[in-house]
Amino acid sequence: MRRSAVFQFRSGASFFHRLDPLSKFAWLVGISLLAFGAYIAWVQIVITGIVLFTALVLARLSPVEIWRGTWLFVIACTSFLVIQTLTLPGTHVAFRIAGHPIYAESFDYALASALRIYTIILSSLVFVRTTDPRELAIALVTQMKVPYRIAYAFFIALRIIPTIEDEIKTIGAAQAVRGVARQGGIAGRIREMKRYSMPLLVGSLRKASMMVMSMEARAFGAFPKRTFVEPPRMTASGVVVRTVTIAAVVAWYAALATGLVHTMYVLAPA
Amino acid sequence: MVDVATPATVSQSVSRVVVDLQSISYTYEGEGQPVLNDISFQVDDGEFVLILGPSGCGKSTLLQLFNGTIPHTLKGALAGEASICGHALTTTKVATFATDVGMVFQDPDAQIICTRVRDEVCFGLENLCRPAAEIMEQQVEALRLVGLDGFGDRSVFDLSGGQKQRVSIAAVLAVRPRLLVLDEPTANLDPAGMADVFVLLHALHKAGTTIVMVEHRVDELADRVSRVIMMDRGRMTFDGPPREAFSQPRAARSEEGDVVPVSAWFPQAAEFALALGTACGVPIQAKDMPLNVAEAVTLGERFIGVAAVMPSVPAASMSSPETTPLLRVQHLSFGYDRVEPILDDVNFDLGRGRLVAICGRNGSGKTTLARLVMGINDAPRKTIFLNGKDLSALGPKEISAEVGYVFQNPDHQFVTDRVWDEVAYGLTVRGYADDAIRMRVDEVLGIVDLARYAERSPFSLSLGERRRLSVATMLVLEPRLLILDEPTIGQDHERAQLLMGLMVRLRERYNTTVLMITHDVRLVAEWADRVLVLSRGRLLFDGTPENMFADEALLAAGGLLTPPVFDISRRIAAALPAGPVRPTLSVPALVDAIVKSRKVAA
Repeated sequence: MRRSAVFQFRSGASFFHRLDPLSKFAWLVGISLLAFGAYIAWVQIVITGIVLFTALVLARLSPVEIWRGTWLFVIACTSFLVIQTLTLPGTHVAFRIAGHPIYAESFDYALASALRIYTIILSSLVFVRTTDPRELAIALVTQMKVPYRIAYAFFIALRIIPTIEDEIKTIGAAQAVRGVARQGGIAGRIREMKRYSMPLLVGSLRKASMMVMSMEARAFGAFPKRTFVEPPRMTASGVVVRTVTIAAVVAWYAALATGLVHTMYVLAPA
Repeated sequence: MVDVATPATVSQSVSRVVVDLQSISYTYEGEGQPVLNDISFQVDDGEFVLILGPSGCGKSTLLQLFNGTIPHTLKGALAGEASICGHALTTTKVATFATDVGMVFQDPDAQIICTRVRDEVCFGLENLCRPAAEIMEQQVEALRLVGLDGFGDRSVFDLSGGQKQRVSIAAVLAVRPRLLVLDEPTANLDPAGMADVFVLLHALHKAGTTIVMVEHRVDELADRVSRVIMMDRGRMTFDGPPREAFSQPRAARSEEGDVVPVSAWFPQAAEFALALGTACGVPIQAKDMPLNVAEAVTLGERFIGVAAVMPSVPAASMSSPETTPLLRVQHLSFGYDRVEPILDDVNFDLGRGRLVAICGRNGSGKTTLARLVMGINDAPRKTIFLNGKDLSALGPKEISAEVGYVFQNPDHQFVTDRVWDEVAYGLTVRGYADDAIRMRVDEVLGIVDLARYAERSPFSLSLGERRRLSVATMLVLEPRLLILDEPTIGQDHERAQLLMGLMVRLRERYNTTVLMITHDVRLVAEWADRVLVLSRGRLLFDGTPENMFADEALLAAGGLLTPPVFDISRRIAAALPAGPVRPTLSVPALVDAIVKSRKVAA
């Protein structure tokens, strides 16, 4: 028995699980646009709060799942926050640590930057965890009119990620047993990838060719069209999510463009 | 329900001949030697054909002809005439065969496309543009047929190996194919999962489905198939009814070209009958050849003499008390989260020079336990002791100096481009002197019979050779404990026997303890001197194979079956309590007991 991959769809009955894939995709894109456009800490705090609320309540992810999916980024973002706060210049001293001045502008900017990264990772986790890649592919075909062979290629690529992730873990473990130590630094990582590449290539090609044979044997690609049983449909909730997301993005960028919001930190102090 | 394209026109051939191969030869693109050589046979409607042969003999390649994967997807040189379900092979596309031929492969994880059970079963019908209402009806029927009613909404990631394979079969049955083709569908399943699949195939055959199947596990199949085809190096060596197939000893050439006996492919009931006939000097006719336990019991009882013989009592275990066990596991619990522990309070000791099997259903925690012992996963403190030292305090180098681990897939462990370097690698990273490395590598390459390939790339070897090389990389370090993960998966029984023979030599030479994770009950019966059975993370049993196989409740809980020889001897012993036979795991021991009773009688 193995630990399931974190960035992998799990079925469920939450509001987000029931939402159609394209509405969730619109929400993901909207959150990313808002996160990139907001350089002020309080705005980022609000966006992060919304995404956390979505993850915990609307997608019913447990705090443990969220932690497992984002802990590495929490550490990276916290390091980023500390380094930027300590090193960026500012004008208003908020407080001092061992005599070193901590500027309000530096902290504000660093907090916004750290939360931006975390928000994007967390919203991606919510999307991947609640969206069946197959439903996304079908929605692309039925709602966006993407040819089904292309949509399924996209689906298979997403479907195979956990398999490759598992394969890499197994190869790592198998080689560690040989006494191969994990190597640090760029050169070490390149050597490690070289050692992994052959078994990974052989294993992945074998699995991919098996998948192709399995699909062809079941008439995939035989006809220009195919039937989709129970394709995902946009519900009233989907309309609301899309409308609110689009409205929020348009409103925020309009406000930025017209100078209605404080844009002092859009360009970081030199 | 939207997007229903024009339904495909489906026309299944009405000829009784489902498969018709005439002088088929095939060579893979870029290869010099043909993998199939002058193969001719027909399969009629309603037949259940079992194809047997050593690894690399061309069995799987042959199956790929049946839906046009060869020559349309896998290119190469194909000669001869072939017709499948009335369609000429060379002029019919793979997709056209989808309505006639259902293909099920060895690894369910590699062939399942969708993540939800219902979607997977609907996949083929959707591609054939069937109306949505019809698709839903047929998927319900297909899931019912494979015993997975109500599983439609389940994620495939939550299913056991056996359930996944049944989903794969349902996915092809939904199309209602005329011919079902299966390539070792039970290779990754525990015995209980395997039995489920065989029962299902038997029912499908009785309902009229034509089945062609490659399988190494024949004990539960031999009396269910209508015909056996044997292959050797791309050629057919036998084609006939199962009783005739197993009525005489046969030999074949392995992938490496060595002549090997093929008795291990035989059902153990037939193996017992052949041995008994030879020992008693009474040849068994093909029509009397037993294919299951009941038939073997009847035959065995016929051969028993009338005079009473004292049954031989199994020798007591030679275990001697050890002050410090090689491995001690105490109160080991482990899991990735607290609500779902994978291992729950596991306790046992292992001494030196033992051959121990770990058994249990798929997902029972066997591999996790082995990975903890190897240090691949971090063991909780003071739960695993290696030579009296807490494993959690030891580093990877210290652990790998004492413990070796042979993975299921040997390719995962290769780190160099040359066989010799591969074996030397472990010694090099441990700082051995060049002379010592040269001496030990040459010695070990000799033991595993790979010295002639010292200059070749590990990836250019056959599967059996790669497996031996993988063992050699561990052997060279002279580990005190060697863990084998599923030594029989993807290998025929002969190759597995060779590997186990190698393990015994290792034990004799270095007093190494071998711990093997396996589903193969015949392997356990033949080689293990102790068995650990795990179920849902708990250690249910720790004892001898004889005691394990005698405990039916334990077998049910562990998803295990008994080897046929045990059932045969147990039933004979029960029928003749004063007779010479006692339950045994050894065919020679059973035959010997019967032969002695005849000598006394004479």
